[in-house]
Amino acid sequence: MLRQIKPRNARSKRALDKKAPKAIENPKTALFLRGSSCSQLTQDALNDLYQLRVPLARKFTKKNNIHPFEDASSLEFFSEKNDASILVFGSTSKKRPHAITLVRTFSHKVLDMLELYLDPESFRTLSQFKNKKCAVGLKPMLLFAGTPFENPIPDEYTAAKSFFIDFFKGEPADKVDVEGLQYIVSISARDIVEGEEAKPKIHLRVYLIRTKRSGQKLPRVEVEEMGPRMDFRVGRYKEPEEAVLKEALKRAKTSQERPKKNVETDIMGDKMGRIHLGKQDLSELQTRKMKGLKRSRDVLASEDEDDMLDGASGEEPVKKPREA
Amino acid sequence: MADSKGPSKLPVTVQKPTPYTFDLALLMANDPNPLLTPTTLETDLAATARDGAQALLNQLLGTCPIASTPNGVLLTLPEVETRLPREKPLPAPQGQTKWQRFAAKKGIKPKTAAARQNLQYNEATGEWERKWGYKGANKAADSQWIVEVDEKSDKPTKATGAASRQERKEKVKRNERAMRKNARKERK
Repeated sequence: MLRQIKPRNARSKRALDKKAPKAIENPKTALFLRGSSCSQLTQDALNDLYQLRVPLARKFTKKNNIHPFEDASSLEFFSEKNDASILVFGSTSKKRPHAITLVRTFSHKVLDMLELYLDPESFRTLSQFKNKKCAVGLKPMLLFAGTPFENPIPDEYTAAKSFFIDFFKGEPADKVDVEGLQYIVSISARDIVEGEEAKPKIHLRVYLIRTKRSGQKLPRVEVEEMGPRMDFRVGRYKEPEEAVLKEALKRAKTSQERPKKNVETDIMGDKMGRIHLGKQDLSELQTRKMKGLKRSRDVLASEDEDDMLDGASGEEPVKKPREA
Repeated sequence: MADSKGPSKLPVTVQKPTPYTFDLALLMANDPNPLLTPTTLETDLAATARDGAQALLNQLLGTCPIASTPNGVLLTLPEVETRLPREKPLPAPQGQTKWQRFAAKKGIKPKTAAARQNLQYNEATGEWERKWGYKGANKAADSQWIVEVDEKSDKPTKATGAASRQERKEKVKRNERAMRKNARKERK
């Protein structure tokens, strides 16, 4: 935990305000860093992911003696220091070759971690594909293909999906330029088949989109691989704690979220409202009037009866008249 | 129009056993259909991506309002549906200060922009002057060696303008004290 800083001038106050929790948050910054041993392959992969994430990314080049699943305190420190809530950590060991650990933090504490092992055979870097790359900072389109991502029970695959959405969603925008829809990130995984590998690979591909005239209103889409090409085996996974995740999934209340109930405007532009009246008291209902049912008579008759009873003035007023 | 079997007419619709789901605010499509056999992985992945891109683009162009502006053709995206974790907790709601509570009770409206503007017209000199700050009008009484008696005030009036300055400084200090007190209460 860093010490609490009290701003002493306007500039540091602005910097602190930028970091402070907000109802509508800043886009997440991703921090890329490497362990004390990290293969060239993993470094290239980190570099390519960094290229896709720019400008919401920072990259460290020094070696860090960190083992995220044993002790993540260093990562939490880096997260706080750099105001980054996505960390991508690359490392290599004999047991865990070409490991890329994806870490997300919530209030600078580790929320969830997923380890992915890069497949060295199929990996191709961004620069190995000799074609025009798209501009920096463009929002990609996303595609998740395959049944593992649709699992209703949270597991490694749904975590990977959630993480990759966070990673590729970029700056929040309510409007997007049609010209800006230039590339698609396709993340796919096969079904879990009995007898084969228990955890299918996650395939990450990035394609440029070429639109052709189709003779109809909508264009025909063709794709061309832009790179990088990565296949991951799923490794260790640290689930988010339930209470922390619940806190993290909270949304700010906005005035727009709750529409006014029971008020609507019809096609003529008239404002219509429905109101709740409660239960109607039917005992007071006015039914058909008849002479015999007049209340005045009713009251008179009962009064007479009372007089009679009073006259008898017995302790059991109902029985007495019968005896008399 | 043109005949349907003409070579120029390319298919633009995507047919899948299970339909796609979309989150258009994230430009995301979910294809819940299982992938094909692993014999030709790359072509299969490319075909899946093509279909997904086509379906997503069709959905985007079909459902989002399109506006043509000088900056380009803009699509208005809906609200995000997918729940993603925040990076920091929601900010705690700000408590009211003692003055805000009092003002709310008495129905005192906050100052308007005009009232907060640091300029006023001085009818005596016929010039615009600052209300406070450098050459502020509230400092006019400071340099006076003799001051008028305030009939309405029940406090005894000091003879010189230095008292006015002292009063002003005290007001500032009092306000700072109140601010500290409010901040202390907020922290508890």
